[in-house]
Amino acid sequence: MYKLFQFISKQRAFIMFVLLEVLSLWFFYSYNNYPNAVLFNTTNFYIAQALKTSNSIKAYSRLSEVNDTLALENQRLREALMRLQAAQLVQPKVNYKADSMVAARFQPVVAKVLDLSTNQFNNYITIDKGTADGLAPGMGVISSSGVVGKIKSCSQHLSIVISILHTEYTMSAKVRRNNEIGSVKWDGKNPELVEMTDVSRYKQVVVRDTIVTSDFNYVFPPDITIGYVTKVGVKKDMTFHDIQVRLATNFNSLSYVYVIKNKLEKELKELEEQPLNNVPSKK
Amino acid sequence: MTSRNIIPQVLIFIFYLLLQVFFVRQLVFFNYSFCFAYIATILLLPFETTRLQLVILGFVAGIFVDSFYNTIGANAAAATLIAYLRPSIITLLTPQRGYDERQTLTMRSMGLSWFLSYIGLLAFIHHFVLFMLEASNWGLFVPVLIKTLASVLFTSVVIVIMQLFRND
Repeated sequence: MYKLFQFISKQRAFIMFVLLEVLSLWFFYSYNNYPNAVLFNTTNFYIAQALKTSNSIKAYSRLSEVNDTLALENQRLREALMRLQAAQLVQPKVNYKADSMVAARFQPVVAKVLDLSTNQFNNYITIDKGTADGLAPGMGVISSSGVVGKIKSCSQHLSIVISILHTEYTMSAKVRRNNEIGSVKWDGKNPELVEMTDVSRYKQVVVRDTIVTSDFNYVFPPDITIGYVTKVGVKKDMTFHDIQVRLATNFNSLSYVYVIKNKLEKELKELEEQPLNNVPSKK
Repeated sequence: MTSRNIIPQVLIFIFYLLLQVFFVRQLVFFNYSFCFAYIATILLLPFETTRLQLVILGFVAGIFVDSFYNTIGANAAAATLIAYLRPSIITLLTPQRGYDERQTLTMRSMGLSWFLSYIGLLAFIHHFVLFMLEASNWGLFVPVLIKTLASVLFTSVVIVIMQLFRND
């Protein structure tokens, strides 16, 4: 026994080293453990306060850029509005009208970016709205120019967003011109480019096509711009296109974002799960 | 650590951490070169610091920086590792005539070439472990290596510049 204590006391630095190393790796590999989710991230109250202060100093230097993007967005919205108004004059042949609840299911909430990174392999964004404003994990986040990501965790007044620049985040997408479905994922290299996969190479995709969010999506409203095609190739297996997409959102100058609340999400999910329970099992 | 210089040591420790999270965190060259100057808090502790103290301080510094980067554990693992390896690296880099009793761990006292190889070696280990953990994918080995080398250069330059401002 004495020898054991002697050994421990002699090797205490090594033992401490192993303990702390195991602890850090455990923190790192378990995403949702308590210290990770609550204490050691940018939604921690003190850390957020510190970031807010340093951000308020930087915010002034970005004002003109924010102004420009907002002006551009206004212009785009005005165009869309005019197009819609014009379309209203011609009555569609099919007598279809979306339920008002369905048509208005997406509700945007404006939030300010407190902190963001673009150059790690897994990038996150901290924003200044939380559960108090009705946000919840899983909601989509867009900017005035395109998609940004989705919420990972919320505290009362802050949230962390998984940016599309995250090597484990895949987003369902389509080509706006011909509705070809695929998925968009970041390869961890250049923060301006993402890859679009799962598009059959027999479908036509050309450079400068616009890639938007698909309709099969709880998180984002359909038709939000993701980016523009810059390069089209063929994958090694010869069945799929290898498409490079330049992101529409400029992450380095992101200042304000819109969180998309889907009011019907719960209802949709319940509906999808229902039939599975009702199918009579073969015995 | 003697009681004589404990207060300046603590201040330097805090200074580098704050420098890291509020200032050099924003500095990135070409999306490949990052600065992790905070490792200086561990690398510049006096020679007398024991391994146990080093390891604990390394972990604390790592967790602090992780909290701001949202990479919980990655910096902590890398910083704890270099804190543990530090005494071995110092032994490895012993000059031919051995270390002088009066030498302190500053660039002025140790000379530029010793200081650069010391910082460079440990920064390389730290950055490589950090980026590899973040990538979690051997397929990204080459980009990780490029990132590591570019960042070691950046970190070393910043730490050397900080050394030039010391007035002792």
